[in-house]
Formats: sequence, C-alpha cells, structure tokens
Amino acid sequence: MAEIHLEQLAHSYAPDAPERVYALQPLDLTWQDGETYALLGPSGCGKTTMLNIISGLIRPSEGRVLFDGRDVTGEDTRRRNIAQVFQVPVIYRSMTVAQNLAFPLVCRGLPRARIRQRVGEIAELLGLSTFLKRPARELTADQKQLISLGRGLVREDVSAILLDEPLTVIDPQMKFELRKKLKQINEAAGVTMVLVTHDQNEAMTFARTVIVMNHGRIVQSGEPQELFECPATEYVGTFIGSPAMNFLATVPREGRREVPDLGLGLSVPKGEDARSGTWTLGFRPEHVFAEGDGWPLRGRIRRIWFEGVEQVLEVEAGETVFRAKLDHARVRTGESVELRIAPERLALYRDGQRVGAGYD
Amino acid sequence: MYRQKYLFLIPGLLTLVAIIVFPLLFTIRVSFSSWDVIQPGLDWIGGENYARLWEDERYWEALLRLAGMAGGTVLVQYVLGFGLALLVWREVLLKRFFRVLFLIPMMTTPVVMSVIWRTIFHESLGPVNDLLQRAGLEALPWISSAGLAFTSVMIVEIWQWTPFMFLLLLAGLLSLPEEPYLAARIDGAGPFRTFFRVTFPRMAAISVGAILIRLIEASKIMETVYVLTSGGPGTATETSSYYIYIRGLRDFQLGYAASLSLIYLIIMIVSLTLIGKGLTRIFVKDQA
Repeated sequence: MAEIHLEQLAHSYAPDAPERVYALQPLDLTWQDGETYALLGPSGCGKTTMLNIISGLIRPSEGRVLFDGRDVTGEDTRRRNIAQVFQVPVIYRSMTVAQNLAFPLVCRGLPRARIRQRVGEIAELLGLSTFLKRPARELTADQKQLISLGRGLVREDVSAILLDEPLTVIDPQMKFELRKKLKQINEAAGVTMVLVTHDQNEAMTFARTVIVMNHGRIVQSGEPQELFECPATEYVGTFIGSPAMNFLATVPREGRREVPDLGLGLSVPKGEDARSGTWTLGFRPEHVFAEGDGWPLRGRIRRIWFEGVEQVLEVEAGETVFRAKLDHARVRTGESVELRIAPERLALYRDGQRVGAGYD
Repeated sequence: MYRQKYLFLIPGLLTLVAIIVFPLLFTIRVSFSSWDVIQPGLDWIGGENYARLWEDERYWEALLRLAGMAGGTVLVQYVLGFGLALLVWREVLLKRFFRVLFLIPMMTTPVVMSVIWRTIFHESLGPVNDLLQRAGLEALPWISSAGLAFTSVMIVEIWQWTPFMFLLLLAGLLSLPEEPYLAARIDGAGPFRTFFRVTFPRMAAISVGAILIRLIEASKIMETVYVLTSGGPGTATETSSYYIYIRGLRDFQLGYAASLSLIYLIIMIVSLTLIGKGLTRIFVKDQA
C-alpha cells in the first residue's frame, strides 16, 4: 500500500517534435492510500496515459512519480507493485484458473505453500474457488476479468490496483455485480483503486473522488456530489449529468448578466467586468421544479421525453432554450408552463469557468 | 424457371472435371493397365502393378526418406522462421529492410536457386569447399556422399522456404493484442516466461497452420533433388515424387507410375490429416 504522488508530471508521445504536443499536460496529483478514484473523460483525454505512467508501462517525458515519497519514475513495472486490469480480460490461456492466479507469485519466486495459501484466499474473495482447477479459457468474460483482478490482488505488497475501463466488455447485469465486488474488495483489502472510465455512472457510483479530464488536463476533481452540484467548468457541467447542464447566453446590464428571454439575471462577483468575456448562466435540469418557491421560468414546451421514470422537458422562451427534469408533470408539448428554480442553484460561468454565484 | 440456375454451374464443373476428376479417374484406370513404352494402351492386368509396388523397396525407402526430409526441413524452418519473426517483430532498427531481406529467398525461382546451390556445393570448384580449405579444414563431398548430399538438399530447402514460415509467423505476431504483454510485465514475467506463456500459446493455431502448409509443400520436394543431386548418390536423396517421375516419365512405365502416384496420394492424405489433427489437439486446445 502506498500514497501515490504525481509531481509536475507531463507526457508527450513525440517529445522531440518542435511543437510539443502533450497527451498529458503538466499536473500535480496525490492519491491517498486505500481510497477509490475514478478518472473520467472522453476517449483520448489522457487518462490511460496517466494510468500507464503510474504502472510504469510508459516513462513520462517530464516530472516524477512517487510512491510513499520514493521516486519510482525510472523503475521497471515489475518492481512497482502495481496491479492493472485492462479493458479486455487478460488470462493466460494455457493455464488453469489456479495457475493464472499463482502466476505473479511464481514469477516472484515465492515458496509453493505460500502461493497455494494466497491463491486459496483470493479465490475465496473473488468467488472463484469452485473454478480453480478449470482451464481459465473456459470461463465467462466477467469471470476472466475477475481472474485479471485476482492476479493483482494475490500479491500482498500491491500498492494500487489500476482499472482501465475493466467493465466495458461485461454484460450490464454482470457489470453491476462486478462493480459491487470491486467495492467490497476495496473495503476488505484496503487497497487503493483507480478506475479509468468514460461512463459517468460508473465513475460516480464507484469512486469516492472523481477526477474529470479533458485534453490531457485535469478539469475538476472532487466527490461525485460536488461535481454534480458545482461543476467548475462548463465542460464538467456538460459531461456529467444527463441531460447536460443548461448554459444560457447572457447580456450585460448595469453590472449584471441577464438572460432577457427569461428575465433571469445575476450580478457578477466583485472585481469582475460584466462587459468583457463570454458569460453564461448555468443551472441543472434537475434543479428546476414545477411549483414551489424560487424564481419563475416561463416558456413553451417544445419537446418531452423520458429518462427512466423522469420526464425531460425542453422549454423555449424566445431565443432561449433550456431543459428541465421533472418527476411527474402533467404537461403536453406546445403548452406554456411556469417552472421554478431556487436562485442559489444558478451560477455564472465566464469563458467556460465558474465564477461563483452572485445572485441578489 | 429455377432449373436454369444449374446452367451457371456448368463452366466451373466442366473445369473441375477437366483438370481434377478426369485425370484422377484416368490415372486409376491406367494403374490397372500395363501401359509402357513397348506396349502403349489401356489393357487390363488387374492388381499386378499394386502387387509389384508392394514389393518395391526403392519406393518405400523414398517415401521414408521424404518423411524424414519434409519433417526435418519444416521443423528447422519453423524454428528459424519464428526466430527471425521475433527479431523484427517489435520496433528495431531497419525493421522494414530486414523484413524484406528475409523474404528474398522465397522470391527466387527454385530451379535457378538449386543450380546456384549446386555451384556453391561443387566439390572442386565451389566456394564452400574453398572456404573450408582456406580455414585449414578438409574439403567435404557435399554431393557425392550419401549423408552430406541429403544434408545439402535439406539446406537448400530450408534456405528457400524459411522465409515463407517467417512471413506467416510474422503476420501472426503482428496480429497479437497488446494487453497480454502489458499484463505479463505487470505480473513480473521475464522474456522467457512471456514467450512460453503468452506468445507461444497465442501463436499455436497459426503455427499449426503454417507447419501444415509447409508439410504439404515439402512433400512435393522435386526440383531441388532433380537439379542438385538427381536423387543420388545412388538413391540417397531420392524422394517419392522424384522416384515416380523416374518410373513414369523417364522409363515410361505409365501403368506402374500411375499406381505409385495413387498410393502416394492416399498415404499423403491420410498422414497429413492425422498430423493436422494431432498438432491441433496438442497445441491448439485453447483456441475453442
């Protein structure tokens, strides 16, 4: 177990190019021991690169990787005590389940009795005990993925388990089971787990801390709730949550930014110039209500669709279009509605960055 | 109206009949005749040719020799081809250059290459013996001693066909997924363990395929023998196809040669099928 610290880490796949293109922009990051993290972002945002740097499969072009303060940047993968599970289940096809689980220990030359004991323990934990003598290739995809995971867990000294989209190829039902199992293992073994994913639900349900990445940069890092309630950028607001957060265009008026079509406005924070930059007003569709206290949002329903049991209304008011997610509203397309939003749910974004909520 | 659809099959079927079915049936018929240079024509002598074949030691020796030669050369080709493929599989200097270089022997005409090799192995004028003597060693009878002539034929075959093995195995290696190798590194496996636990099992299917293709090809060894040693000294390098060629097209014992080829064909079909099944069972068990 170890605390993992990335210090001024950056990576470029073509470090000799005159214009350096970074797969991973310089960043500092600390991962606490025994916690669960999720790296969330679209394909090509640098999350797998980061993972491979930590496991030592890639050597970063800049910066250092520290495990408990020890610099491991130049160290070989096998000496880092990192376990990694890939998108595709990787098993040694010519071996049985037990041999698969024992493999990392055999490579490290542990005594046979100890290996047998560890394999037994891990198989028990993963629910693979009954399959131990079976050839690994005969198992189902999710069981194979458990074997991949087991090969990481079987090593007692493992610093962290890195999961690179491990649930992508698994059936939905099995996905749920496997995610539950991962959480159990994290609690039982107390080992740090880092999950790379582009599925926000997976990230939000698995990890204590979610790190949102885009274009090789960390956009925001925090608890799932925090990312949902207070997205630091428009990107996070759009990427997390379904439907995406509303960002409405505003115009300046007397130190405020307003959405004229809705008669909605917020004063900009002190020190900010309301007339320069692109300002948007952001709020979550989930924070809109059919009735109750708050500022009114008037408009005509353009479209209605369902997400699960909830209704999503697309409402237009003049040029402005926003979405609202409601439990059960008896409304029809084309009707005029008056919805409500609590003022504290509104936030201003300047050039894509949150500048705080100056409601009055 | 759908009757006509069979019309469209006729060109293909006619070709098939003309180049495979008719020759085969004709050969079967000829094998029951005494057609030779003195008495050409289709008489009927029953199974006489087959009885004679059963007693023909030279035929069975040639077949055994062929088995040894084919098995030996294909095995060496496999090991060498795999080795070469592993060398230029990953990012190495001049990768493209080497990949093409290794293929050159395959692209040359077998008969021409055999002539060149005959010159190389020439006992008084060839460069091999010249080099040996310069190095203070004795000149070797490459073509005129039984054992060495056999070895010479094998060397030429291996030289000529290792590239084919290399090509198939390299294609196989290049199609392997990356993750198992990353996983093996993380599990702490060294190069040998990685090869035997990851590469080799994953290459099993393509290996069996490549070996079978080469065995089928190698069982026809003919031009190398013809040019290099003419089956000699004595019958030391005589293979089945070469012996059948001597009987049929040099001695013109067409009836007898037909029976020889048919038995050869049956033996090849049976043995290659068994070898294929055996190899698959042993190596490719995990592909299901």
